[in-house]
Amino acid sequence: MAEGRAPRAGADGKKFERRRRAAAAMAEEAPEDGAVRTLPSLRRLSRALPFGRSHGRLTVPALCSQEKADPQKTAFVLRKAWTLYSVTPLYGFRRARLRDYARLLGAFIAAEKQKGLAVEVGVELDIKVALSSLADIRGSELDQAALLVQLSSRSRSSSRNSEDKPVWLGWFCSVFGDELSESVPEHFTCLPLFLSHGAESYTALVGSWFQKTFDCCFRRLAISPLNLSWMVAMWAGCKLDRAASAVELVFSVPRLAQPLDISYAIHPEDAKALWDTVQKTPGEITHEEVDVFMDCLYAHFHRHFKIHLSAAKLVKISTAIASAQCDGIVKVRPLGAGCSNAGQIKQLYLKVSWFFCMISYKELLNPQF
Amino acid sequence: MDETVAEYIRRTVLKIPKDEIKMMLQKWGFLSEAQLQTLNFHQIKDNISQEVVQLCEENSADIKQAAVLDIIYNHIYQNKRMWSVYQMKKSGEELEYFDITDFKKKFKRRLRSALKNVTITFKEYEDNAIWIRVAWGTPHKKPNQYKPSYVVYHSQTPYVFISSSLLKSTLPLLCQALIVASNYHDIREMELRSHSLNSLKDIVFKRYSQNFQTCTPKPLQGGNVEPENADIRIVEENRSEKERIHRLNQEVFGSGPQPILEFAQYRLETMFKSDPKMEVLDKKEPFRCLVKFSSPHLLESLKSLAPAGMADAPLSPLLTCIPHKARNYFKIREKKGLYPESFVSP
Repeated sequence: MAEGRAPRAGADGKKFERRRRAAAAMAEEAPEDGAVRTLPSLRRLSRALPFGRSHGRLTVPALCSQEKADPQKTAFVLRKAWTLYSVTPLYGFRRARLRDYARLLGAFIAAEKQKGLAVEVGVELDIKVALSSLADIRGSELDQAALLVQLSSRSRSSSRNSEDKPVWLGWFCSVFGDELSESVPEHFTCLPLFLSHGAESYTALVGSWFQKTFDCCFRRLAISPLNLSWMVAMWAGCKLDRAASAVELVFSVPRLAQPLDISYAIHPEDAKALWDTVQKTPGEITHEEVDVFMDCLYAHFHRHFKIHLSAAKLVKISTAIASAQCDGIVKVRPLGAGCSNAGQIKQLYLKVSWFFCMISYKELLNPQF
Repeated sequence: MDETVAEYIRRTVLKIPKDEIKMMLQKWGFLSEAQLQTLNFHQIKDNISQEVVQLCEENSADIKQAAVLDIIYNHIYQNKRMWSVYQMKKSGEELEYFDITDFKKKFKRRLRSALKNVTITFKEYEDNAIWIRVAWGTPHKKPNQYKPSYVVYHSQTPYVFISSSLLKSTLPLLCQALIVASNYHDIREMELRSHSLNSLKDIVFKRYSQNFQTCTPKPLQGGNVEPENADIRIVEENRSEKERIHRLNQEVFGSGPQPILEFAQYRLETMFKSDPKMEVLDKKEPFRCLVKFSSPHLLESLKSLAPAGMADAPLSPLLTCIPHKARNYFKIREKKGLYPESFVSP
């Protein structure tokens, strides 16, 4: 019996073949060919990412110190539920043209509404669009600065100069996407993570405009139970000055006749104490350590209830820093006045964004056809 | 008719599903059959409720009658509310004969002596259940009819089911009035809560099927041991394990339908014990956790965990004791002494 990697026949085999061909096509550079915008050297990149079983080590990067850390600029991130998307690199995007883009996007939205795809029935609203760069939100100088898109409404009926009411927010970012950015050819801008807050209809409008204008692709980001357990391990160990909220894991057992949800919340000090004894090297997390941490929690649970939590699906995690759900909805919590160091807070939030960016990169490199 | 009463009646009718309005108005009995005939039940609910209000105006309805309609609605839709269970204690005397008139009088008197502005309404149902609705006000404000408390008292038992309004301060007053009126001397809250009032009653009145071991279940060998396996080459390797799990489940849960609970909550303050090889946490203080199980039908869900392979059989007594102990809120601490592995629930 010959050992080999011949593609199997049947439905699986077809998928495998298609994927192989697509990956090969993506590996070719064709900057002159308008029809094919590609990402070269995918294979080199995928080896660098640590989430497979074979790459068990994750080093939390040291963020560049930025003296002028202005918490006001990034305050908009806090306390909102963000929906995550992975975005392929934008072609032909120019920072200098932000005002033009805002105008074009505004016109696009107005046109779509006139076509009858009204986002709000019965209320006449003018949607104003604002695009801005956020230099603060990036990991290193090599990263693209984040891009913020704001939609606000001004009711036509009010005659005086009323304030614009924000109706929708979205932002693109790249945190430590060095490897990805380096291998991206000219004319491409790499901002692999998109976060939106607001009505789904606006997200669809903005997304389709970006897709048409910059030939990119948005895809809803799902967060796997594996990634969720990494997050819990990473964030449970963070030192916080003030009274933190519990470390909560929510499991779902859907396939029973009567579905069951299990919420397992641990006192933050006790969770941190456990993680501290598991983690061997500060600043570095290995797959084994995450496994041990999770196994400890599962074992403690089993001792009491005789239920195998490892067989249930981890669907949501929540810590004092941030919470995340398997359907790609996340929330970043304010660390509060107790945390005196603004720079430290910012480091923490950037680490959170960095982790989501990593998940996005992985999605981009292993697209599910 | 007072406009607040009119508005309250209008809103109460709006809550009722359209095809049940006629039935509820009939149960209410405040409008005559002739008046009900004049109502057009095929128009939109907004219009129906307006017409009902007009008829009530003709009959000069006051808040007392409106409150009865509200009780009727909440009796039928009792599962929309969250109910807590309370148990009253006697000081050891004989059970006195229960006089409903005496009860109502004492209840009203006790509440009114503490708070002038309250609306108190009673309605009796067949199964010896007395429904009490209390709308709360302040010394300066009329009662808020939209946030009342409901009490269900079965006079032959020491149990009271309360669906309290959001005003926490009213609970002690309510409890006081209840024990005074029913001639008990103390009342305590049981750690038992659910939306399904009937299930709560099933649990405290022990009306669900318990795991009596006198009943020998039919041996599985005789019954359907060969379901659809016509092919004798297919053998179920772990059939005996499946049967063992099934048997243990029956013993623990009983074979009848389980009372419907939606959640169970455990506050764990036990020690974290690990495999010494793992070299992890070995603190002397408890590992504090809060575990909450939720399901549309929790006990059925737990019962199906072991057969699904998600749990060991028998399931932990912490879970299976819920109906017997009549509680779904627990605080678990480490039991000191002989049995370090077992738990105490205070």
